[in-house]
Amino acid sequence: MRELNQVQAIREALDEELERDETVYLSGEDVGTFGGNFGETQGLVDKYGTERVRDTPLSEIGIVGHALGASIGGLRPVAELQFADFAATAGEEFINQIAKMPYISGGRLKAPMTVLAPSGAGIRAGAQHSQSVHAWTGHQPGLVVVAATTPYDAKGLLKSAIRDDNPVFVLAHKKLMGFKGEVPEEPYTLPLGEAVVEREGEDVTVVATQRLYHRSVEAAEELAEDVSVEIVNPRTFSPLDVETIAESVRKTGRLVVVDETPLRYGTQGYIASRIADEEFFSLDAPPRTVGVEDTPIPFSPTLEDEVIPSTSKIVDAIESVF
Amino acid sequence: MVSDTNPHFEDVDAETVDELLEQMVRIRRFEEGVLDEFSEGSVPGFVHLCHGHEASHAGMGVAMQPDDWLAVGGSRLHGQYIVKGVPFDEIMAELFGKATGPNGGKGGSMHLADVDRHLYGHAATIGSGQNPAAGLALAQQMRETGNVVLSTIGDGGTSRGSFHTALVFAAAWNLPVVYIIENNGFAISYSTQQQVGIDSLADYGKPLNIPSYSIDGSDPVAVYETISEAITRAREGGGPTLVESRVTRLRGHFEGDKQAYRTEEEARESNAERDPVTNFQERVIEAGHITAEAYDALVDEIDDEVGAAIQFAKDSPDPAPSTAYEDVLRLPLYGQGEGDA
Repeated sequence: MRELNQVQAIREALDEELERDETVYLSGEDVGTFGGNFGETQGLVDKYGTERVRDTPLSEIGIVGHALGASIGGLRPVAELQFADFAATAGEEFINQIAKMPYISGGRLKAPMTVLAPSGAGIRAGAQHSQSVHAWTGHQPGLVVVAATTPYDAKGLLKSAIRDDNPVFVLAHKKLMGFKGEVPEEPYTLPLGEAVVEREGEDVTVVATQRLYHRSVEAAEELAEDVSVEIVNPRTFSPLDVETIAESVRKTGRLVVVDETPLRYGTQGYIASRIADEEFFSLDAPPRTVGVEDTPIPFSPTLEDEVIPSTSKIVDAIESVF
Repeated sequence: MVSDTNPHFEDVDAETVDELLEQMVRIRRFEEGVLDEFSEGSVPGFVHLCHGHEASHAGMGVAMQPDDWLAVGGSRLHGQYIVKGVPFDEIMAELFGKATGPNGGKGGSMHLADVDRHLYGHAATIGSGQNPAAGLALAQQMRETGNVVLSTIGDGGTSRGSFHTALVFAAAWNLPVVYIIENNGFAISYSTQQQVGIDSLADYGKPLNIPSYSIDGSDPVAVYETISEAITRAREGGGPTLVESRVTRLRGHFEGDKQAYRTEEEARESNAERDPVTNFQERVIEAGHITAEAYDALVDEIDDEVGAAIQFAKDSPDPAPSTAYEDVLRLPLYGQGEGDA
């Protein structure tokens, strides 16, 4: 099968959806001639024009705030944020407007909008350009929050997000932008709200996405002689497909949850607690969690590498449940 | 009620005067009904009444076509729902938190939304509704619907950055949107003059070259004429307009507000001099547009409708508790249950 990197996969998804549905349009800072921060919108303005690929003034409040209204008005906006951290500058729009308006209207308002943003650390971008935000955005009832791990995921999940009738926040990891993977030539979509078992194993379930998914694969390879590791990629953090994780734990009896968000009140603890509640008697050991140890992401490469869970830290966590 | 001649409202036809008057009285009588029921304890939460804003609401409501969108803002909302054509029964039921409200009791006084009537709900985090209004306007522009979006905000909300961002987007994209600032002189307790110290909040449109007007919002004819002109400009591709509609808040910010920040004398003067309903009533009767008897009959007729709405709300069932879990997301999500496709 052909290989694309994540940037190419995202661009292809945007291109196909702009082509397929004339109510879809893209807006954000520098998405036009500049072609997007990572090149993910390159060439689209030439093909679809400045109406449907529109550069915006520099305000995330306006970018995602206007997209909410446009979606209620019958369009399918894709609003791009240059970095996922900037969701916080539009925190009011995410938390109080986008997530709540359809609900408090009793379902009468429909907001089929997508926000696309690169998240995660690893490019030495400092504390305000390196965060993973799917924990705090996933905490808002009314938002669908999706994290892409492979180019295959990025394309299929983004296309589904655009077609979905809810507000969907799609996060691609900026350190994986150049990462290549198999992407079919034929158009496809991936289901939202469903996890996938990426690697089958017998002894322990590791839940991981994005960059730490790839590190979990490395950890599994390292331990392969002694431990058979099953890896579940949630794909959608909110709403979470607990059943696929539970089914895996029923088989393995052990759980390690790895995620690039801070541990405090985080995704790792939520997933572990859901499994502890629902599958307590399937567990042979207490679940373990791995994440950022409650610090902002520092700039210096040495410091950044310190706080982002390494492969060896994941190996240690897996070993600790035996 | 329509008179043949209309000497005192040269630019406005008699039917329009009728509509303005009727909408103003509808708002005032509805709010009096809400006040009674709130005092009785029938309306949960808190209410912000529209006394003093009636002319502003009526003027913009009559200027709009039914398919134009109204993205409501500010704190005085019931009158805006009324002029957008939501029936009394439905508004009252939503205020009472009943299953028969347009939003099944999930919205309430501050969040009534009705997509079929092109009513976009209120951002009760004041000043957050203007960017969604810009987006609604973009949808009209791109889909070439010919519809215009009106978006209201209070004076207090104009201090939010989100308000100014919306003006930037509206100007940059030449959007068919009319932003209306209903300036009643108070952001809850803090006077507009103390807050920002500028003469006219319409000046906020000037740096962006947005046509801007400051008008007497207690005169429904002035509001109707200015908003009509702005709507026409927007509909014809002329872009956004900013209007400061200067009104008086005749009651507290919310019911129960002791208004310690306002002298009794000042409040009394406001009520006597700037009550838009009594002023317009006197004006139309004096002009011979309507007789005092016909006006009283109009009030009685509307009071009956308010009474029936209150009864409807009281008789309506509470929402089933299980509905609290509905409408969070539209399920199934795209592709859910179908596997990789």
